[in-house]
Amino acid sequence: MDNQIRLLQVFADVLEMDIAKLDEQSSPDTIQNWDSLAVVSLVCELEQTFDVSFDILDIADFRNVGIVKSILVEKGVVFEK
Amino acid sequence: MISENLLMEIPKEWPQSVRRLVSTALESGRIAAIRDALRAVRALPQEQQGRPFRLGICRTFTIEAQIEALTLGLATLPCRPAIMVGDMENIEQVLINPQSQILQAAPDALLVLWRLEELHPRLVFEHDGMSAEEREQAATDVVSRIESLCSVYKTVSAAPLFLSTLPEQMAGGTAVTDLYSAHAPRRTVSRINQALLDLAVHHSHIHIFDFSGWASRMGRMAFDLKMDLYARQPIASHSLMSFAMVLVDTFRPLFLPPAKVLALDLDGVLWGGVLGEDGIDGIKIGHAFPGNIYRRIQLHVLALKRRGVLLALLSKNDYADVERAFSAMPSMPLKLEMFSALRVDWLEKSENLKEIAEELNLGLDSFVFVDDQAFEREQMRFNLPQVRILQASEDPLQTLSALMCCRAFDVYRVSKEDLRRTDDYVAQTQRRKLETTSCDQQNFLRALQLRAIITRVTEDTISRTVQMLGKTNQFNVTTRRHLEADVKKMLADPNNLLLLLSLSDRFGDQGIVGLGIVLGDPASKLAKVDSFLFSCRAIGRGAEQALWASLLIHISSMGYVSLHAEYLRTERNHQVSNLFERFGMTKQNDGTEAYSKYVLNLPFQPSLPAWITIEDKT
Repeated sequence: MDNQIRLLQVFADVLEMDIAKLDEQSSPDTIQNWDSLAVVSLVCELEQTFDVSFDILDIADFRNVGIVKSILVEKGVVFEK
Repeated sequence: MISENLLMEIPKEWPQSVRRLVSTALESGRIAAIRDALRAVRALPQEQQGRPFRLGICRTFTIEAQIEALTLGLATLPCRPAIMVGDMENIEQVLINPQSQILQAAPDALLVLWRLEELHPRLVFEHDGMSAEEREQAATDVVSRIESLCSVYKTVSAAPLFLSTLPEQMAGGTAVTDLYSAHAPRRTVSRINQALLDLAVHHSHIHIFDFSGWASRMGRMAFDLKMDLYARQPIASHSLMSFAMVLVDTFRPLFLPPAKVLALDLDGVLWGGVLGEDGIDGIKIGHAFPGNIYRRIQLHVLALKRRGVLLALLSKNDYADVERAFSAMPSMPLKLEMFSALRVDWLEKSENLKEIAEELNLGLDSFVFVDDQAFEREQMRFNLPQVRILQASEDPLQTLSALMCCRAFDVYRVSKEDLRRTDDYVAQTQRRKLETTSCDQQNFLRALQLRAIITRVTEDTISRTVQMLGKTNQFNVTTRRHLEADVKKMLADPNNLLLLLSLSDRFGDQGIVGLGIVLGDPASKLAKVDSFLFSCRAIGRGAEQALWASLLIHISSMGYVSLHAEYLRTERNHQVSNLFERFGMTKQNDGTEAYSKYVLNLPFQPSLPAWITIEDKT
């Protein structure tokens, strides 16, 4: 599966929402379920999906989907395009 | 790190599709899989979901991320779990205030998850700055706080209270200095854990969740300092599922009556080797490798017996052999008289187990069956699906680990009655005759998808041929111990026929298990069965009929008009005393049981076992 879709799927699974309603701009401001507990689950699911380990200060930076993606890119995850 | 017995623990009456969803979810721990599985479970009829289980949890750290995993795990007990989580840091408020939300919800059980980091942060992080007296006082304070919590709790709630032991992984430093300090956090943790265990010993409403035991099995990797500091969630993401499943095991005895009987196979489980083939001297059991593995299995079985578990022996062997073996090896931990029921014969194990259940007046779900042979386990599963089947295997270490991980006998407290129970049953040692195959038996064999491959003895297979001739005692009509040179001589004569049968089923390949040798005399057009034998492990599947049919087809096509055979009685081979009659031959002599002579006119249409696919690769 495309890493872009895998990324959005993790958000969709954790935040219990339709993947079609998510994009890189999605953030705690636009998504009601995105609270601090959701971040714990996001970290957990993302680390397992992409086999990475986030740095602790990265987590404070989880401000929207695009930022999370750029952190994953820094960790070596390749996104097409 | 999911328990090997996982699938065994998912309710058998749930549809296969749901069981698969649940096991996938529990293995992967992924949130989407867990939610899918939970939805599937909740769509089941209510009676399959079990009774409601309201669990209140007080905790000093974040566990929200694993609530769904825990809910799914608990649902497999089976029950309909509703988990309520109290505020962090407010243990007293939740546990001893009758007006607390959790107590108001009338929970069926309460669980307390805590660690020293929150119970007394100074003792963990600043203990070097405390005087010895201060540390002593602090530890005493924690213990008395827990004790008074428990005694007040008893006055406000009757629900069982599960207290977790404290993990020392996080509190324990790795500094050498800590080992020499009388008040290192590790010692404090041990002391508090000791007090917690004492509480459970003395109060029947208090139970233990062994958080510390889990932590030491899993090690430091089970914890994640990053998420601990970020969200006070100390348990690492990859360990959440294991943690949830250990909790499930902790609650299991509330729901499942414990199994009462351990029904054990003998060869390959309680000792190494096959008694009927290897003899007493060839059996592996004792202090030296590999006998020590089997000894360890026996010791574990003995420990279960001492806790009140009944033992049953289900072995395909001759009873006299087994009796001799037990008395010849008096230093084995298990003695024959320790078994409450013995079935040493050639009957189907499921039939025997059913009888034992009736005899002991116990339900089939009270039994845990252990057998190293996939065939026997599958037959049990097929005929008596209520019996719990241990994930044993031909690898004795796997059998030992499965026994050690088996939670089926778990009870919170062993009663005096439990301890006495095993003496109350009288061992019965009836032997039965081999009976004709039942209709169910054929269905079972069909489901196995048996395949028999018939080949001629060649250079490659000659050593296996000689080995079987030398070893096979029970299913062996003549017990002629030909050596390699003899076999080569027979092979050199094209008038002879030496066929092998290899057997496989959907569980795997058993290799060469049967041999038939027919020696022919072209002048008289007579052929004679010199040997016909099968390995013990392959008996009861109709493979002997497959080999016999192939022999007849070949012999007929070689132009022989008459086939002779004989049965030579030994101490061990009475189970084949009437084999040739069953095969449709005519007995020629009467009287003596030690020697029988048979004849058959060719060509003869043999009956083929319909449940075996026979491939002739000669």
